Amino acid sequence: MIHQKNPITQSPNLSIKIGSLVLKNPVLLASGTCGYGTELDGLLDLDQLGGIIVKGISIKPSPGNPPPRLVETPCGLLNSIGLENVGIESFIGDKLPWLRNVKTSLIVNILGNSVEEYAEIAKKLDGAEGVKAIEVNISCPNVKAGGIAFGTDPEAAANVTRAVKKATDLPMIIKLTPNVTDITKVARKVASAGADAISLINTLLGMAIDIKSRRPALANVFGGLSGPAIKPIALRMVWQVVRAVDIPVIGVGGISSPDDALEFLMAGAKAVEIGTATLVRPGTAENVLAGIRDYMEANSIQNVDDLRLPE
Amino acid sequence: MPRFDIPARIIEQPQLAHGIFLLTVKAPAILDSANPGQFCMLEVKYNNSSDPLLRRPLSIYKTRANGQISFLYKEVGKGTRLLSKRRPGEIVRVLGPLGQGFRLIDDRPQCILVGGGLGIAPLLLLAERINQSGKLIILIGAGNASEIPTIEDFSGLTRYFHIATEDGSLGQRGMVTDLLAQTLREITGMAQIYTCGPWPMMKAVYYMARKKNIPCQVSLEAAMACGIGLCLGCAVPKSDSQGFLHVCREGPVFDADQVNWEYSQ
Ligand SMILES: Cc1cc2nc3c(=O)[nH]c(=O)nc-3n(C[C@H](O)[C@H](O)[C@H](O)COP(=O)(O)OP(=O)(O)OC[C@H]3O[C@@H](n4cnc5c(N)ncnc54)[C@H](O)[C@@H]3O)c2cc1C
Ligand SMILES: Cc1cc2nc3c(=O)[nH]c(=O)nc-3n(C[C@H](O)[C@H](O)[C@H](O)COP(=O)(O)O)c2cc1C
Ligand code: FES
Repeated sequence: MIHQKNPITQSPNLSIKIGSLVLKNPVLLASGTCGYGTELDGLLDLDQLGGIIVKGISIKPSPGNPPPRLVETPCGLLNSIGLENVGIESFIGDKLPWLRNVKTSLIVNILGNSVEEYAEIAKKLDGAEGVKAIEVNISCPNVKAGGIAFGTDPEAAANVTRAVKKATDLPMIIKLTPNVTDITKVARKVASAGADAISLINTLLGMAIDIKSRRPALANVFGGLSGPAIKPIALRMVWQVVRAVDIPVIGVGGISSPDDALEFLMAGAKAVEIGTATLVRPGTAENVLAGIRDYMEANSIQNVDDLRLPE
Repeated sequence: MPRFDIPARIIEQPQLAHGIFLLTVKAPAILDSANPGQFCMLEVKYNNSSDPLLRRPLSIYKTRANGQISFLYKEVGKGTRLLSKRRPGEIVRVLGPLGQGFRLIDDRPQCILVGGGLGIAPLLLLAERINQSGKLIILIGAGNASEIPTIEDFSGLTRYFHIATEDGSLGQRGMVTDLLAQTLREITGMAQIYTCGPWPMMKAVYYMARKKNIPCQVSLEAAMACGIGLCLGCAVPKSDSQGFLHVCREGPVFDADQVNWEYSQ
């Protein structure tokens, strides 16, 4: 990173637009790694951030998968939390009031077992005061289609997108799974189905075996890999999707430093989400934001969009 | 409850016995709000390295008025090995104090602390706290004497101090549950049990307590990524099969009857 500062006349403009949603800066907290916000109270100043994306919410509360749910891998983390969440009713009743007082954009991550469930949750959030956008997690198993994730089937992904679009006027971000052979196929499908933006990547399917107990290390056998280990893959996929669709793309995957975030912004991402890095250091997002600002100042870059590399 | 994520300077870190270390850092902010049974998340990686990625949870063992906090830990893997290599003067990032510690119960004049191996770590602050109010009974067990090198910290706190080792190298030969059985035969009146140690030991302690209708608080362990309720990784099944307890946020100390003891880790 360049630390020498050439003072420029104006301080850089960090605000960005995602559809009709204006964020004060491009740094967001990723779903599942920032709880419902309250958990970070006193450790991270949420007011400073562009947005917070809360833990995936389903229609009914869900207990999640049995433990062990976590395994550390080299520069990475495997998790099999499952769908554990408080459910939409309790989210709106118990979590939303606190979140309304935070001066950042609240984005709610949703997940369902059927197209109808996605639409139902979206409808419930549509009128909820304080919710600025919805991020649709399409990487969970579709029970009805026999255990195939919506996100791996471009047609199913488009169906979810259309259903949510119909159910709400809120800006809608579709979050893609990297567990596909061609990420641009799904991306194009959801873009033409009406998504306002795309975020990627969710975790990569992986596993670990405990050679002492001679059992899979996660009770669920498979889990999602996140953290610095997945950054090059996430960056490659963001680069591809940015060049495949016309809607804004949000980069996620292994971002823990300003330099990481800058790589994604240079690849063409409008914004970034910080996930596992918040688990490791709760204050990471603030540090990433400060570093982006410093870099822009030092290099006389006025707008976040100007960070994108020329084609 | 205020929590802090601070760079803490290492004051000292002697190896007390084979693979057992007593790490003392300067962290006045954390110390000021720490309660018995709470823990911290310590960064074990160097600088900007990403390996090992996660912090390691360690119980607050000891606090001193001058802003120093000590952690008593055993080297069991990569993270604790790296931590043990740290020298006085170096900085280690510490996040804490975290979780819900032990709850002191006012109407229980007799408190029985049952520790197994390094499960004694969260019990010292508790023992010091109880000692100011009521009758304190401390029971400690280990495989052998070298597994519990800081035993003197406890033995001076009360006359009712008993120890058992499986090889007989210190105290009575046998298990800490043997000591508990004797104690439960002798005591009369209201009591409260506090325990920390290996899962099978805590399970046995809980079942003995339940038979005598003595309330029991346990300090649990679980794999953790964040230590502050963000990831929901630290789940332990509830006794009523209705979902999970989260060790970092609702624990690490629980009333033992909240826990499903038949679940094996
Ligand atoms: C609330 C709490 C308090 C603790 N207090 C103490 C203490 O005071 N003294 C002490 O010696 N140990 C304590 N432990 C256990 C300690 O955290 C582990 O021994 C340590 O994380 C092992 O790390 P490692 O890299 O050396 O081992 P590895 O086996 O290489 O660790 C790999 C991964 O597994 C996790 N892990 C391994 N063993 C455990 C375990 N028993 N509990 C939780 N996670 C584990 C690690 O955190 C890491 O993510 C405590 C655990 C918890 C949850
Ligand atoms: C513990 C954990 C829980 C997660 N839960 C969710 C979730 O509920 N919904 C979702 O869309 N993504 C979830 N994710 C994925 C992250 O939001 C993110 O896409 C992924 O971890 C990659 O980013 P990272 O490497 O910065 O963590 C979760 C990730 C982790 C580690
Ligand atoms: S360790 Fe993350 S929620 Fe408990």
